[in-house]
Amino acid sequence: MAVPVSQAWTVATYVLKQKLTGRKKYPLVLMLEPLFRCNLACAGCGKIQYPAHILKQDLSPEDCFNAVEECGTPMVAIPGGEPLLHPQMPEIVAGLVARKKYVYMCTNALLLKEKLHLFKPSKYLSFSVHVDGQREHHDFSVCREGGYDIAMEGVRAAVEAGFRVTTNTTLFDGADPNSVRAHFDELMTAGVESMMVSPGYTYDKAPDQKHFLGRARSKKLFRSILSNRKKTWRFNASPIFMEFLMGKKDLKCTPWGMPTFSIFGWQKPCYLLQDGYADSFKELMETTEWSNYGTESGNPQCANCMVHSGYEASGVNYTFGSLKGLMQTAKAIFFSKYEDDGAMKLLNEWKPAHSAPLVQIASPTAAEKSSELQGV
Amino acid sequence: MATETQESAKLAQLAHENPDEIEVAAGREREVLEGWVPDLASEAEVREALEKAFDYRGDVTITRKDGSKVEGYLFDRRSGASLNDSFVRVIPSATREKVNVAYADIAALAFTGRDTAAGKTFEAWVNKYWEKKAAGEKNIQIEPEKLD
Ligand code: SF4
Repeated sequence: MAVPVSQAWTVATYVLKQKLTGRKKYPLVLMLEPLFRCNLACAGCGKIQYPAHILKQDLSPEDCFNAVEECGTPMVAIPGGEPLLHPQMPEIVAGLVARKKYVYMCTNALLLKEKLHLFKPSKYLSFSVHVDGQREHHDFSVCREGGYDIAMEGVRAAVEAGFRVTTNTTLFDGADPNSVRAHFDELMTAGVESMMVSPGYTYDKAPDQKHFLGRARSKKLFRSILSNRKKTWRFNASPIFMEFLMGKKDLKCTPWGMPTFSIFGWQKPCYLLQDGYADSFKELMETTEWSNYGTESGNPQCANCMVHSGYEASGVNYTFGSLKGLMQTAKAIFFSKYEDDGAMKLLNEWKPAHSAPLVQIASPTAAEKSSELQGV
Repeated sequence: MATETQESAKLAQLAHENPDEIEVAAGREREVLEGWVPDLASEAEVREALEKAFDYRGDVTITRKDGSKVEGYLFDRRSGASLNDSFVRVIPSATREKVNVAYADIAALAFTGRDTAAGKTFEAWVNKYWEKKAAGEKNIQIEPEKLD
C-alpha cells in the first residue's frame, strides 16, 4: 500500500461524500504556496522569477489556515519556493496536522536535516522530497553539484527519525528511463514510503525552454519506466493517472482538482498556469472559465500538459465515477506489474540523449557558445 | 492569457501537430520588455500592453491620469467589456497591500523593473558549467538571486 490506510480511507470518504451531495467540481489537494523564494534555481522551474519584494513575502500561518478551511480538502501539499525557508513553517505544519489534514511538505531537502527537530513525526505529515533522478541527473536538473547527496542525506535522516518520507521526480526531455528505474531502486532502499513521478510543465519563465517533453514522448518514456514494475516499488499516485502517463488511458484535465493559494490569492486556473487570481476559493470556482483549460480546449499553454496537478484528480474521479473505474483501479493495485514486452524492448534499446559526464548535457559546441551572463 | 506573439512558437507547432503526437513541446521566444514604454493611444494598445505587463516578471510603473504613480509587481488583470470596468492589480514595491487601477485611469505604463526571467538560459548555464569544470572548480551551481 503506497499511502497509510487511514489516509486512503479519508480520501475515499471525502470523494464519495462530494459525489453523494452532487458536487460536480470539487478539489482534492490544496497546493499551499506560502512563499516563492528558494535556495535552488532549477532550470525547469518557472516559480521563482519575481522581484525581490515579492520573493521576500510569506503567507502567515493564519492565511494558510484560512485557505485550508475555505477549500476543505483532506490533503494539503506545501510547495513553493522552498517551504523550509519560511520562518513559521513548523507552526504552519503543526496547525494543519492539528486540523487532521494530510500534509505533503514539498522540499528540495537542502535544509531538511538541520530543521528536522522543528517537526514531529505524524501519520498526517510526509516530507515530499524533490529528487529528479540519479545523482548526475538530479544535480543537473537542479543546477547544483552535490545537491543529490545533500537531499538523500536529508531523506535518510528523516526516515531514521520516524517521519513519513515520499519523493517527487520531475522528468524532462533527455531523461533516461533505465536511470529512472535505477533511481526508484535507490529511493526504495533509502526507506522512502512511496514515490511520485511526473513530466515537467512548459513554464514560460523557466530558464530551459528546450527540454519540455511533448505528450507523445512522455507516453513512451513513462511506458518504458512504469511497465514491468518491480515488486519493491511503491508509488503515491492514482493508478489511473499512472496509466494515463503510460498512454494506456485518456484523461481530461481537472484544473480545479488541486487549487493553489499564494500571496497573490487563489490562482486561476491551476498550480501551473497563471491566468489571474481570485480573492476567495468560492470566487475562483465561480469566475474561472474552466472550459478554456485542458489539452482538449486548444489552449496552447495546456497543449503538452500531463502533470499530476491537472490529471491526478482526474484519475481519482475516474476511479470513483463508476463500478468499472473501481474495478480497473482494484485491478491496477493488485496486478500492478504491467508486464509489457514492447516496453521492455523500448527500455533495452533506449539511447541516453548524451554520454557526457553529466548525462543530460553534451559539452558545448562552438555554435552554442553564448556570452550571456549567468549567475553560476 | 498570454498574447499571440508570446505564444507564437506553440501556436505554430499546434497548427501542424496533434498535441498527442508532439515529441518535444515548443518553449517560448523571449520578448525583451525591460525598459519598454508602450504607446497607449488606442484601446487595443492599452489592453495588449497590460496583458504583457501581467506576463512580465519585473516591476512596472503606472502613471495615473491624475499624475499619481504606482510602482510595483502587476500580479493580476481583470479584463472587462470597457476600459472603465477593466483593472490591473499591483503589489507596490514598498508595501504589501494590493492596489487596483482601472485601465481607463492609466496615462502611462513603463516596464521599469528588471525582468527577473531574462538572461538565464539553460545554454548559458551549461557553457558556464563546462568552463568552471575545465578550471577544476567543485560544487558548481546556479545561485538563486540575492534578495538584499
Ligand atoms: S492542462 Fe495542465 S496547465 Fe492546463 S489547466 Fe490543466 S493542469 Fe493546468
